[in-house]
Amino acid sequence: MISCEAFRTRFHASTEDPSLLDHLRACDRCLDFAVDVDPDVLFRSLGGAELVPPGGVDAFVSDVMRQVRVRDAETAAAARHRVISWPRRLAIAATIAAGLTGTLLTYRANAPTVAPQPIARIAHASAPVAAKALVTKPVVETYDSQNATIVEVPGESSDDVKVVMIFDENLPADL
Amino acid sequence: MSAELHVMMPTTPSVEPDDRQLVQTIREGDADAFELLVRRKTSKVYALCYRIIGNGEDAKDIAQLVFIKLWENLEKYDASYAFDTWLYRMVTNVAIDFMRNRQSRENAVNSNLRLVKTAADAEQTVVVQRKEVEHVFNDISDVLSPKQKTIFVMNQMDDLPSAEIAKILGCRESTVRNHLFNARKLMQQQLQKRYPEYAQLWRER
Repeated sequence: MISCEAFRTRFHASTEDPSLLDHLRACDRCLDFAVDVDPDVLFRSLGGAELVPPGGVDAFVSDVMRQVRVRDAETAAAARHRVISWPRRLAIAATIAAGLTGTLLTYRANAPTVAPQPIARIAHASAPVAAKALVTKPVVETYDSQNATIVEVPGESSDDVKVVMIFDENLPADL
Repeated sequence: MSAELHVMMPTTPSVEPDDRQLVQTIREGDADAFELLVRRKTSKVYALCYRIIGNGEDAKDIAQLVFIKLWENLEKYDASYAFDTWLYRMVTNVAIDFMRNRQSRENAVNSNLRLVKTAADAEQTVVVQRKEVEHVFNDISDVLSPKQKTIFVMNQMDDLPSAEIAKILGCRESTVRNHLFNARKLMQQQLQKRYPEYAQLWRER
């Protein structure tokens, strides 16, 4: 390192001379002098030094290497997990697919076969079923109430079932 | 005695591998080589983190994170570029991220707690002391954006030229110069406001 005398002789504003900057950063006695000549070096005086982390370099390096080993172990474990699970996942998917296919085939084989019928015949056949269902319901022939509103749904022909709707707050629930 | 010592000395001096060679060895699976690289770069990486972050413990954590990222991304290093440029880019990215997160957390809380010196203090003559300068820097540099501070630190404390900083940050040299100009201006304004005795240094010239 250059002497304080040499520093004070050679130092000037906006210097980039590494030897002068080294001296500036190492010598407390010359710092005040340098800032007086060039205030821009005020914060420049802080740099340069290679700092040691708290706890020292050895502890720092050990910490880093420990964390690196942990990460490596995690990565390796994750990779192993992936290697095992993919065939397993494929096997599970294949089992599910085979099960669904088998169920579908079995269902189709056991389902009662219905012969296709013309649409008109089906419509005709369903009419008595509906009528029969209506017959099983209680039939109201007379209804006498001051508060009831009775609406009769008009039918298209005389064969149609007559539908009458009774709106009454006092109507029995089981009717 | 001296003859015996002479015999015990190695006949050929051991040559330390440079950074690129070391990286190549690490890529081949040598974890000891990585330990050597960490040991070699610790002081520089920590110093840069410390200057940017301004707190020893946080800087240590960030420096460790940098080395872990380095380990995880070593395959991506292109040996045609200087290793330190690549490493510094990693340091600045991690440190800037940290600063941004910290700023958003602490801005509201700390803005009222900073010590503001009065103009009356400016009358005293200042004797510049290194420890005090460090304290002043840590105190007022919070006004800089993380990127401005990083550029300021790399230029003023690591003596890196604008062109090199531009390479590290992946931006144009003119952008770096702009950031530097604005950073200096902001720092002087803050000195004026909070440490008038230091701002006096500029006025007296």
